Amino acid sequence: MLKIVRKVVYFPRSRLVPIVSLVVVFLFCFSSPVFAHMVYLYAWVEGRTIYTESYFSGGGKVNNGLIQVFDPAGKKLLEGKTNAKGEFSFQIPRKTALTIVLNASMGHRGEYTLKADELGGIAAPETKKEQAVKVAKAESHSPMQVDADQIREIVGQTLDSRLRPIARSIARLREEKGPGLTEIVGGIGYIFGIMGLLLYFKSRKR
Amino acid sequence: MHISEGVLSAPALISGAAIAVAGVAVGVRKLDFDRIPHTAVLSAAFFVASLVHVPIGPSNVHLILNGLLGLLLGWAAFPAIMIALFLQAVLFQFGGLTTLGTNTVVMGLPAVICYLVFRPGVISRSSRVSRISSFSCGAISVFLSGVLVASALISTGESFYAAAKLIIIAHLPVMVIEGLITMLCVRFLKKVKPEILEVTHAKNSA
Repeated sequence: MLKIVRKVVYFPRSRLVPIVSLVVVFLFCFSSPVFAHMVYLYAWVEGRTIYTESYFSGGGKVNNGLIQVFDPAGKKLLEGKTNAKGEFSFQIPRKTALTIVLNASMGHRGEYTLKADELGGIAAPETKKEQAVKVAKAESHSPMQVDADQIREIVGQTLDSRLRPIARSIARLREEKGPGLTEIVGGIGYIFGIMGLLLYFKSRKR
Repeated sequence: MHISEGVLSAPALISGAAIAVAGVAVGVRKLDFDRIPHTAVLSAAFFVASLVHVPIGPSNVHLILNGLLGLLLGWAAFPAIMIALFLQAVLFQFGGLTTLGTNTVVMGLPAVICYLVFRPGVISRSSRVSRISSFSCGAISVFLSGVLVASALISTGESFYAAAKLIIIAHLPVMVIEGLITMLCVRFLKKVKPEILEVTHAKNSA
């Protein structure tokens, strides 16, 4: 133990300064969010509308990024640009699986796929919704007149609005796969593994 | 700087891959037994450097360290960068497997160019010349990478000047930081392990 302590104490000063400055530079850099610059896109469904949000890792919104929507056959269904908040929304064009592709500049591209069953039951048209609201008001006066369809409608609307934050955060979670410590350490391990292999083969040749 | 999958057209991908294969072949031939561990360590450093973020304005960019790799590895920077990029693509989804070749060229070619241009200055006896050369080596390699990304994006229909301007402005702070890091590393290595700089030079010029 004593020997180790002595070594540290007598560590030459000339070497210590650059080491410490390097460490400081790296710590300073690491203090910012550790997600690399990638572009993320996620989407969720509410009634008949699909909402998308796009952002760069680190939180910057994708302003004016091109969004294209494809069906499983690769046919483009529609396209549009994100607004300053990185949002873009559109009506469900068809009830198939949809691939939403974001093209931000500088070679960044994000993709998000919604499966057909995630599109849910396409909600009733607006007019019916309005009717349902009227019914809901009438309900307090004479609850017996509400039929099953109308109840379904009302419950559906309430659920949509209640579930909005959850749908959003699930979509976001699914998309946000920043590299974890496991991947980082694993990657370094692979590099040294490859080094070992190379050394092994080259040393046999000698 | 990582170009994502699905952005580039086939000709850009194929020519990128062809240049990368040639670069890696030269790098592997020049890589002798004693320098394998040294190459692996720098490959690991490059692998991790992409996680070090420099927040600027709305977006943020990460370190690249290709100048430092070029300086210390010469042509061996090509295989080192390719392995690190491959692992980043597989583990972090940075870039992609189809764009691996293009990304390798984008980062590896400037490394080799800077190695050839700045090496004599860096190992110069005059500490001033050495400092200026190592700073330029770090900074200019990032600049050249930006130019290469922009030229790869021409094939997607983005205008070269617009893309180049955007990328280079976004990377200005990175250029300065990389220049400083390269300078610090060279100073540190000159004091602690000067043979790393000298030996590789002697072998490659012979």
